Amino acid sequence: MQTTNIRSHAPFWISIISGIALWEVAGRSTSKAFMVPFSETLVRLWQLVVSGDFIEQLLDSAKLFFAGFVLALIVGMPLGMLLARIRTLRIGVEPYIMILYATPMVALIPFILSMMGFGFAPKLLVVFLFAVFPVLYNTVEGARSIKPELIEVAKSFRSSEWALWREVMLPYTLPYTMTGVRQAIGRALVGMIAAEFFLSATGLGQLIMSASQNFDTAGVFASILVIGLLGIGLTRLGLAIEQHFARWRQ
Amino acid sequence: MAEQVLSGSIPAGSKPAVTRWSGTLVPRLITGLAIVLVWEIVVRAVAPAYVAKPSTVVLAIPRVLTDPTFQKAFGETLLAVAEGLAITIIIGTIFGLLMGRSPTFDRVFRVYINGFNAMPMIVVLPLFSLWFGYSSAARIATIIFAAIFAITMNVADGARSVPREYLEVSRSFRSGRLRALTDIILPASMPYLLAGFRLAAGRALIGAVVAEFFLSVGGLGYYILYNSRSYHHNEAFVGVLLLAAFGVGFELLVNWATRRFMPWYRRDEKQN
Repeated sequence: MQTTNIRSHAPFWISIISGIALWEVAGRSTSKAFMVPFSETLVRLWQLVVSGDFIEQLLDSAKLFFAGFVLALIVGMPLGMLLARIRTLRIGVEPYIMILYATPMVALIPFILSMMGFGFAPKLLVVFLFAVFPVLYNTVEGARSIKPELIEVAKSFRSSEWALWREVMLPYTLPYTMTGVRQAIGRALVGMIAAEFFLSATGLGQLIMSASQNFDTAGVFASILVIGLLGIGLTRLGLAIEQHFARWRQ
Repeated sequence: MAEQVLSGSIPAGSKPAVTRWSGTLVPRLITGLAIVLVWEIVVRAVAPAYVAKPSTVVLAIPRVLTDPTFQKAFGETLLAVAEGLAITIIIGTIFGLLMGRSPTFDRVFRVYINGFNAMPMIVVLPLFSLWFGYSSAARIATIIFAAIFAITMNVADGARSVPREYLEVSRSFRSGRLRALTDIILPASMPYLLAGFRLAAGRALIGAVVAEFFLSVGGLGYYILYNSRSYHHNEAFVGVLLLAAFGVGFELLVNWATRRFMPWYRRDEKQN
């Protein structure tokens, strides 16, 4: 057991370690303004953590991310299922959701800035806009996959509207919604950073911006490392959630 | 047919063609009209005069489209996205094929490709501005960084999913490795390549716009930023409409290509 475990994980760790070694060598052999070795990045990261700056900014970003993401779920899920239930409405709205899903939402940031100014609300709106359409789009997609026979049978047995939603709609659309949730996690993260870059600078976005303006390359690398790891962690979480619900799919 | 039974509003014996049109087109037109109306009314009622509303945006369209500044900005962004995507597709496909067909290669690079793909790509902008300066080179780099991992991952998945029998048959008939690559592996991973392309195109577009915001490099993104800052929201919104058209265009193009060249393949909804 022990040896197979080590053997299957060995390539992963070798790859990680050689990547770090490469980073270290590249950092040491080029100019400081261009690249910083791994060791210095860690030292800088530790300084940022100790100064308390970093934790504060991280919490600030986390608040923005979760507020926007939860709002997108609260709006996207029920709306998607409502569209699933009312067929005419769904047919009417579908192409517009598709268009908004495919539109690069970043283009709206300048408008939001000039109309809503700085503050938490415009940033929340940006994260929400980034995250809501994947949820909505995939929920509607799931709703289309519900067999009409199922609803007919439920109706023939005089099922109440509430029971229909609970027993048919929810279990059938949820796996698709969770695909949307996984996509929304990635998009909300991009939205979060974009909002912090282009609206009022706060959180991790501000950390990285001020580091780059002060030519603190180590600070830039430290922030990118943390945001990257955060992205990987959240994507893993999203995949796990999606796979958990995928078992419901038939 | 089942859907018609369900909706129950269509009388028996009506012509199917008519019901199909009235079934989809009419609700869509009504919804579109409703969206435009609500937008117009809300903006007129509560927002300041500079905020874009449908009536003024429509009036701005001919003016913007004939504006040489806009045409130049549009051309620049289009060229940058096309260049970035071309580089991305070539490198991404080669890398993806190597990963899909060589387990060693895959083990070495998988962690990094997955990791970079999960990273919100725009965090590299400050770094790229340090490396490349506030230039169009930084924009191309951002576009490539935004798009390449999606293509690589998809091509790798596609190359891995080639049925082993196909390759065994080709080996039995003594076909060379190159023939196997061009005649079996590439066509078999085409659906994945297209799915990756769709994803990558969307991300490249976002990458280009964000890079132009951040770097103040001339282009459609900068045009939108500049005009909305100087309270020309209507002009800026025409740029947004064009970007939306781009996004939808890529989506439709890939859907069409999938249906046209791979009618047996159902679009994979699991791609993000």
